[in-house]
Amino acid sequence: MTTLESVSRRPPPWRNVRVLRIAFQTAFVFAVALFALYLFANLVRNLDRLGIDTSFDYLSQPAGFAIPDSDFRSTEDLFAALLVGAKNTLFISLLGIFFATILGVVVGVARLSSNWLVRRTAALYVESLRNVPVLLIILFWYLGVLLQLPPIGRAVEWEVLVVSNRGLVGPGLRQTDDLLVLVVVAAAGMAVAAALWIWRTRRFDRTGEPHQRVLWSGGVLLGFLLVGYVAGGMPLAVSLPERGELATTGGFRLSPEYAALLLGLTLYTASHIAEIVRGSILSVPRGQTEAADAVGLSSFDRLRFVVLPQAFRVAIPPVGNQYLNLVKNSSLGVAIAFPEVTRITRITISQGGPAPQAIIVLMGVYLVFSLSISLVMNLINRRLALKGR
Amino acid sequence: MSLIRTRGLRRRPRSTRTGRPTFVGYAVLVAVASLTLAGCLHGGDDGEANLLDEVNERGTLQCGVNDTVPGFGFVTAGGEFQGFDIDFCRAVATGVVGDANAVDFQVLTAEQRFTALQAREIDVLIRNTTWTSSRDGSEGATFLTTTFYDGQGMMVRADSNYQELGDMGGTTICVLSGTTTELNLESVFRSQGIEYTPLSFEDNDTLQPAFQQRRCDGWTSDKSQLAGIRSAWPQGQGGPDALRILDETMSKEPLGPVVRDGDSGWAAVVDWIVLATIQAEEFGITQANVEEMKQSDNPEIQRFLGQPVEGEAFDPGLGLDPDFAANVIAAVGNYGEIYDRNVGADGLGLERGLNALWTEGGLHYPPPYR
Repeated sequence: MTTLESVSRRPPPWRNVRVLRIAFQTAFVFAVALFALYLFANLVRNLDRLGIDTSFDYLSQPAGFAIPDSDFRSTEDLFAALLVGAKNTLFISLLGIFFATILGVVVGVARLSSNWLVRRTAALYVESLRNVPVLLIILFWYLGVLLQLPPIGRAVEWEVLVVSNRGLVGPGLRQTDDLLVLVVVAAAGMAVAAALWIWRTRRFDRTGEPHQRVLWSGGVLLGFLLVGYVAGGMPLAVSLPERGELATTGGFRLSPEYAALLLGLTLYTASHIAEIVRGSILSVPRGQTEAADAVGLSSFDRLRFVVLPQAFRVAIPPVGNQYLNLVKNSSLGVAIAFPEVTRITRITISQGGPAPQAIIVLMGVYLVFSLSISLVMNLINRRLALKGR
Repeated sequence: MSLIRTRGLRRRPRSTRTGRPTFVGYAVLVAVASLTLAGCLHGGDDGEANLLDEVNERGTLQCGVNDTVPGFGFVTAGGEFQGFDIDFCRAVATGVVGDANAVDFQVLTAEQRFTALQAREIDVLIRNTTWTSSRDGSEGATFLTTTFYDGQGMMVRADSNYQELGDMGGTTICVLSGTTTELNLESVFRSQGIEYTPLSFEDNDTLQPAFQQRRCDGWTSDKSQLAGIRSAWPQGQGGPDALRILDETMSKEPLGPVVRDGDSGWAAVVDWIVLATIQAEEFGITQANVEEMKQSDNPEIQRFLGQPVEGEAFDPGLGLDPDFAANVIAAVGNYGEIYDRNVGADGLGLERGLNALWTEGGLHYPPPYR
């Protein structure tokens, strides 16, 4: 039945579309909230009945276990253990993101190379690694490669490196004095270098003369660091690895667990980033490359000044996605005894900590990491976005 | 919206054209709301849980076990579960349901086992689990009679010169995660002031290659587990003679079955089935002579095997058949037979030691069946 309704007369509430929409959305939210409340009440009731703790007090209990490659004492509380794990996760994620981006961009560009061998090799890398589960790649590197290195008794010494299946040890820094002066001078140096960078860039925008900002900022920063180092009384010294019977002392040690996880994550994520970069380069209109050729840019300059900047605009959201995947994939360190935050949480649960709370804390940690990465990527995206698109 | 005229067949019920939900929509909304409300207001369980009835109804026993420890919980090449703990699972199944094969074996890792028990995925956990106060208090678990008195030990390669723990300063030690082993290792080494690096793995599948490749110098676990692993050490790596278990015992590890808190009836059932195997050994009842023993003159034995003594068969009120003990012994044998078959003379070759009966100087002292 159709009726022509006069626009000035409002329909009664039970036929008013706007009222009904609000009413039903409210009712739906209420129903979902009730359901969530039911689940939560059920959980708490059952935990109470089993006598399991329902608070977060377990975090202040002493850990009782040791964490390798850290200064963590087993008498410290579980919260401190979680922080150590979170720090490990953070560092391996940041390193993984850094290396995966570089490798991914290189391979992605290589896939579009005019050289047949380069193109085919890149394609082989991408297709093989994209289709293998990350865990297998990590296990392959750990069990298949790094554990097969010579045992510590037969460690290979090559120049300043000592290689064994207990780790790759190279020259490192050792603190011999107070670092305060060095840190202060370095901070000042970074501020001056940043200011110089901005000044040179503005000068370039204004006059067109080459900015040489890397040389200027880098040189100044280096100068400041040198001055700070000398003024602080040479607080850092190089420590070289010394091969021992059971372990290599001194230097900077990369454990096989750390290396396997980093390699697995980097190679896997780089293969995905390569595909994204390839797609984003292909999305740059052909007219741009033709115009760059017409202006007389070399193919490398064309890539660097015309194609890649436009390609990155398109690539930022999916690449941000891959970064989030990398952070979450770092939890696969549990398979090879790398003490990252998921590992620590699992040890906590198996030593009697309440599972729901521990998992909530773990999810919170990953949420913080993921949201931070998303925030940064969104900021970059906003800066690069074309106005009006 | 009411200005739009639908032509031909009415495609939507009339009321959706005004934005109002259909009768079905209303009905669904009311149903969902009332169900969630009812669920919310529904109080806790009424009274204590009754797992014995549930298992009888189901007809099978859900038993949480291990599948990587030779002698205790292991899967043979033919796909059969075999081991000390496995036999006790079968004993409980025989006692409760009447069929030794009515067991659903749930393989669990050390980290999962208590969560699986709490979440009711298993009825009983018989998986070389150590009885500790924190597990009793914080895991919602009730520990029953210890079936195996074990201790933590350290296994090293035979060609290394470690004779005692004090020699192991600066070493890397492999340990399984989520076990008391990890905590004991830390406390023992710290109290003796020995520096070491722990490598804690999820499961033996990754730990064993690491130990084989000399990533770590020592492997610590319960001595019975180490014995089992050593006995199965591949010939390509030197066989069992390539490994040595240090004499020092790092801790007490009483292993036994575990059930959930809050069901004392079920706990008593599992406890007494386990105790029946030990009591049978004390009486000298074996798998072979069970039938014969039923005609025994000893009233204690007759009562134990559920034979009528002066009219009625003795029923302690556990909820089991009066002759459950006889059925269990006929199915899996007594404690000594279970021990010999799996970890003793015919298995790993471990001495009875603390696991002997109290009459032989060991710790097994079953309460009287009366």
